[in-house]
Amino acid sequence: MELLINNLGHGFAVALTVNNILFCLLGCLIGTAIGVLPGIGPVATISLLLPITFGQPATTAIIMLAGIYYGAQYGGSTTAILLNLPGEVSSVVTTLEGYKMARNGRAGAALTIAALGSFFAGTCATILVAASGPLLTSVALSFGPADYFSLMLLGLIISAVLAQGSVLKSIGMVVLGVALGLVGTDVQTGQQRFTFGVPELSDGVGFVSLAMGMFGIAEIILNLERPEQRSVLAAKVGSLFLTKEEFRRAVPSVLRGTLVGSMLGILPGGGAALSSFASYMMERKMSRGRHEFGNGAIEGVAGPESANNAASQTSFIPLLTLGIPANAVMALMVGALIIQGIQPGPRMVEAQPDLFWGLIASMWIGNLMLLVINLPMIGMWVKLLQVPYKYLYPSILVFCAIGVYSISNNVFDVYQTVLFGFVGYIFSKLKMEPAPLLIGFVLGPMMEEHLRRAMLLSRGDVMVFVERPISASMLAIGAVAMIAMMLPSLRKGKDKALAE
Amino acid sequence: MRFAGTTRRRSVIVGLSALAVLGQPALAQAWPAQPIRVVVPYAPGGTTDLVARLVAQGLGERLGQPIIIENRPGAGAMVGSEFVARAAPDGYTLVMSNIASHAISPSLYPANTVRYNAVRDFTHVALLTSNPSVWVAHNGSGITDLATLRTRAAAGQGLDVASSGAGSSNHMLIVQLAQLAGITLHHIPFRGAGPAMTAVIAGQVPLMSDSLPSAAAHIRGGSVRAIAMSSARRHATFPDVATFREQGLDLVGDSWFGLSGPAGMPAAIVTRLNSEIRALLDTADMRARYAEFGGTPGALDADGYTRFVTEEFARWAPVVRASGAEAG
Amino acid sequence: MKINTKDLLSGIILILFAVIGYWLNQDHALGTARRMGPGYMPMLTFVILVGIGGIVFLLALFSGPNPLENWTRGEILAVPAAIIAFFATYFIVAGLNIFQGNYYVLGSAIFVACLVLAIPPGWRALGLVHAGFSLFGLLLEQGGLMLALVGCIVVSSVADPDHRPKGVLGMIIFLCVLCWWVFIKELDIRVNVWPQFL
Repeated sequence: MELLINNLGHGFAVALTVNNILFCLLGCLIGTAIGVLPGIGPVATISLLLPITFGQPATTAIIMLAGIYYGAQYGGSTTAILLNLPGEVSSVVTTLEGYKMARNGRAGAALTIAALGSFFAGTCATILVAASGPLLTSVALSFGPADYFSLMLLGLIISAVLAQGSVLKSIGMVVLGVALGLVGTDVQTGQQRFTFGVPELSDGVGFVSLAMGMFGIAEIILNLERPEQRSVLAAKVGSLFLTKEEFRRAVPSVLRGTLVGSMLGILPGGGAALSSFASYMMERKMSRGRHEFGNGAIEGVAGPESANNAASQTSFIPLLTLGIPANAVMALMVGALIIQGIQPGPRMVEAQPDLFWGLIASMWIGNLMLLVINLPMIGMWVKLLQVPYKYLYPSILVFCAIGVYSISNNVFDVYQTVLFGFVGYIFSKLKMEPAPLLIGFVLGPMMEEHLRRAMLLSRGDVMVFVERPISASMLAIGAVAMIAMMLPSLRKGKDKALAE
Repeated sequence: MRFAGTTRRRSVIVGLSALAVLGQPALAQAWPAQPIRVVVPYAPGGTTDLVARLVAQGLGERLGQPIIIENRPGAGAMVGSEFVARAAPDGYTLVMSNIASHAISPSLYPANTVRYNAVRDFTHVALLTSNPSVWVAHNGSGITDLATLRTRAAAGQGLDVASSGAGSSNHMLIVQLAQLAGITLHHIPFRGAGPAMTAVIAGQVPLMSDSLPSAAAHIRGGSVRAIAMSSARRHATFPDVATFREQGLDLVGDSWFGLSGPAGMPAAIVTRLNSEIRALLDTADMRARYAEFGGTPGALDADGYTRFVTEEFARWAPVVRASGAEAG
Repeated sequence: MKINTKDLLSGIILILFAVIGYWLNQDHALGTARRMGPGYMPMLTFVILVGIGGIVFLLALFSGPNPLENWTRGEILAVPAAIIAFFATYFIVAGLNIFQGNYYVLGSAIFVACLVLAIPPGWRALGLVHAGFSLFGLLLEQGGLMLALVGCIVVSSVADPDHRPKGVLGMIIFLCVLCWWVFIKELDIRVNVWPQFL
């Protein structure tokens, strides 16, 4: 304990130099800005800004890049709540209740709780990383392919709960998402699947194109078709602050979200992607406001946003203790370090104590900065909703278009977005919900990869999924959840059929 | 003038300390009169991207024009390469040519999706770096060298070997080793070197064929054990890791990265670029950085690099076919 | 009638998608359970999808009524017209052989089809928003960012009858300046700003 305090003290001494604070602030500002812009992600930005970091010490460079990373996570929730535009996986869940809250005139409250929840979760997760990062590494290493497969399967089963309507249809959407995720190069054999000879599809359907089309563009068209709704949207901009009641409801959600997110974030094989909607699922089943889900329940914003931010902090654990990047952003950070002449590896804690503890301290400072930057800006963001819709929608459109293009500098992505805009429009007319589809799309490829690897390693023995305790318990939870979900909906269907 | 004006578009963000990087607008009329873009045919963060950025900084200073890295990923590095093959050969658009884009992928993907000839459609300018692969084993696996590897593979039903992905140069090495040694190896592909290394550290897979730059820190840190290196001679940074040749197997294969432009680039530009690159790679600073991650600086002239690419292209085609991996 | 038309159509879409996918998947080797081929997981997925689609379809026969909005005759006609326009443009532009690469053929086909779709008032928002988006893609690389912005804004603003020319002009100027500042000056994304053919 004393050692930890000493180390943290050392870390703060490193992170609190004027230069490092400035670059941390810069990183957070840039991160927030690009998070708000749909389609422009942290990967593109960090790779653009990498040259700046060459002139700086390694610690400063990493502090700034980390600031961009979690700043972007932070900013992403803003457009999800205000405009129904999810720029990344975690914000898909935020759109569900967040955008509904905005339509109810509670955009300010949604943004405030997202900021507060993220800060709290970030603080807890940072302490966790500092106190037991090396210990938690063993958790990451104990998850084999069979366990990941069962975790993903569990995720897919419970994602059906994201739907507001029929559970059966939303399971259909999950599977449809898994099917869309099949497009691209097969990881095991390198074979092209369902790419129709289009080289751009060899890396799969673009997530941002899919999300922008199905959420953003489709929503614009629906709003244009129903002029009466947008006047409601503009007129209702309620208080920016949380009511006492909202605050009371959100606190337990933030706590649960932090816990779930911190745990899942440790798993490099896709845990972070699961965190926000695992939390949404918990809130929908456990929170006091569960009956309001679908109509703008604050728990549905507070939980997932906290989970997402906690996961993005704990996902640094594999990088810091094993030297293995958990995602593309961290791979870039590793690149930045190598350019600086530092090889991140298993001995980073001993070999680079300044870097290790400085980064951890700066994570917390960065979270604090994000809170300070963002709370006053909420008023400004909410004002955005008062811009007449006829000016707002072309702006959203061009920002989406530039964002989608800039992902791989390819116009094919723009046309892909148009396709998904049409699909999203048809789906919304048929009450087929896009959120479960996106989850299936993200988790499906991971699930296939882990399934096939598990079978390869077990020499074709299916028992590996039930023999491993982690995997077996995931499957058991999944089975129970499935039964619990199907029973009421089947009963309801029967009741309805009998009543007619 | 594709990106005329980029120097003036110095952003506030970048501008903070990028003065050295972007430099002053060049007054010289001759090439380079505008920023040069280097297409990296992968997403940011990989080894190719890293090498490109490492070189771009110094090369930009030497040429007096910023080098702008542009990532155009897709189709085993073929999307970005095709883009450059079709660009104007004016010396302002170059691509990071590498073992995947110019030796493996053209044989791996079905003929109708390969829209360039790796040799004829490019002017190959300079080799930037090459690095060997290293085979590493889980610490508790009991595999310490090639001999134990062979015994273990022969005793059981073969051995599992991880790699960073199907169709990677490391995958090809696994295929070649199995052929040469007459043993059964089960290729376990991962999505990138990071996840594969995690599986080896955790002991889920006993072995991995990895590029030296990504494995170096793990070997130094002791989280995995190095078995053999695919270089012709022992590597200066890891003198105690024996080569495959020393252990009785003629397996040599480096992965490499270079700079190429569209076919028909003016000879003067090619010569200037090549000599600047080689001068840059010869500086003490660059040597130190290369040594750190285990790469060898390239020292070929443009003709040499062209010959090298031609040879590699011819060499890997039969191995790709034998691997059974195909992207069709 | 107790038919739930929305669910019925949802079921049909799911089944259709699965059947087409299953058919395309015939090209891929299934492999064995131990070494699954590239076709194994798609096969599983499409079989499950057919099953779910089938149940959705069957339940929809009894859980209604839940009818679709009625389409006018213009709206009904515009759909096949747009599809024809798509293929006609695709083959004409491909035949012209002047716009190679960069998906100009695909882009112009989508653009024309969206414009045709926008003829009946009911599809105006749907058609024009997408037309504007695809026009952006068409103009971006050769026309430059500014021209692409103007095209996208003008076409998409026709979708809202409230727009007046003056307002659109103001919006164009504002957004061009804003996008230039954000994407070119600050983020420095790699794209041409001004037309290349001048």
